[in-house]
Amino acid sequence: MKPETLAIHGTTAGNGFGATVTPIYQTVSYAFDTAAELADVFAGKTPGYIYTRIANPTSLALEKRLADLENSIGCIATSSGMAAISSTVLSLTRSGDKILAATGIFGGTVSLFENILPRFSIETVFANAANTETFISNIDDRTKLIFLETIPNPSLEIPDIKAIARAAKKFNIPLIVDNTSATPILVKPGDLGADIVIHSTSKYINGHGTAIGGAIIDTGNYNWRNGVFTDIKNTSKKAGPLAFLSHLRNLVYRDLGGCPAPMNSFIMLQGLETLPIRMKTHCANALKLANYLNDHTKVSWVNYPGLPASDSNQRVADQLNSMAGGLLTFGLGSKELSEKFIDSVKLAKNAANLGDAKTLVLHPASTIFHEFDEQKRIEMSVTDDMIRVSVGIEHFEDIKNDFQQAID
Amino acid sequence: MKLTINGEEKQFENQMTVSQLLTVEQVKMPDMVSVEYNGQILKRPDFDTTNLKDDDKIEFLYFMGGGR
Repeated sequence: MKPETLAIHGTTAGNGFGATVTPIYQTVSYAFDTAAELADVFAGKTPGYIYTRIANPTSLALEKRLADLENSIGCIATSSGMAAISSTVLSLTRSGDKILAATGIFGGTVSLFENILPRFSIETVFANAANTETFISNIDDRTKLIFLETIPNPSLEIPDIKAIARAAKKFNIPLIVDNTSATPILVKPGDLGADIVIHSTSKYINGHGTAIGGAIIDTGNYNWRNGVFTDIKNTSKKAGPLAFLSHLRNLVYRDLGGCPAPMNSFIMLQGLETLPIRMKTHCANALKLANYLNDHTKVSWVNYPGLPASDSNQRVADQLNSMAGGLLTFGLGSKELSEKFIDSVKLAKNAANLGDAKTLVLHPASTIFHEFDEQKRIEMSVTDDMIRVSVGIEHFEDIKNDFQQAID
Repeated sequence: MKLTINGEEKQFENQMTVSQLLTVEQVKMPDMVSVEYNGQILKRPDFDTTNLKDDDKIEFLYFMGGGR
């Protein structure tokens, strides 16, 4: 099935009434007729649900559908994108290990890597992933995972995922790719060699700014039996190729408690159904807006990977199905002018989110990146005059008119 | 056709797909099972199109959680 069909007709949680949408199984626990039945489920001898912190039918339907859309072997849905990242990282690292991560990625991820993980003696090296050779030269024998974003937010400097995946494979290091900004409609990172795909489903998959969620997807590319991760290798005796997800489900994810609310999983399933058509409109509107801003005399600079002048433009063609996503950044020359623009838009909302049907604008330096000093912000590709736009799916003329009146 | 299902050898008279095997074997929670086919996890959209053949090895896996 094609993605447009899978998004609508993929797995649904069974129900006995012919309901055409997956029901919301709003329950904490699941009752069994006998003590032996529940004991068998606890022992993993028979399938069954025990407790919604571990698994839930509505969330499992979302997991299956996301795995199918990413052409992958399995998925675990989480309470947020950050829960997906923290659970994954804590599954794969321990004291003394190192992470190699791209610069210019989401501030929340950077904060986890820089402020939380060092408390457990897990170090992160940040390097520019747009330059493959420089990036992979940072790999050493302590590196336990590599972390990228398909369209890094906010740098929008697209890495060569296939080349980095080749290097990661050579060193037996799992490559984790956050595909929030691109979604499987633009790219399936597993098809390029990535091992684990992360999503903040709160963004494009939800599509309407109504619920927080995340996902961890195993593409099936990494051989968990190779012994690099001893505890996961041991799990593989029972779970086979699903060892990583089983290790998560039965230990890290279970014990950290980052499960989604069943209601939110239902909302994400609804969002998935229209994801393919929404992404096409987000991308088309973003390209038109980037071109409009590029031609505007009062605009100092525009960064959109879909513009021919962008260093990432070839990678949009090679990796992203020739669609450059719904995010762009631009500057008006000073922090004051950029703030004045944000104060002047009427249609667009000033909000710290992306992937909403509505056009959203944000001043990253004073919001998501406010906890970092100016030097660090520049390293993270965040200038003081940067305005980030998550281009919505309104009619383009209305978006353009709003930006025009706010700039002029 | 001889298949090894969850480590146990079984004989089947008719050719079938993985989806049909789920029905024949009355696999619990067929929407939620993961199928390991000759050592590889089979992607769900391929259940209908994968025709089983003699000596195939099938494991039905669930990672829905259980106690430790």
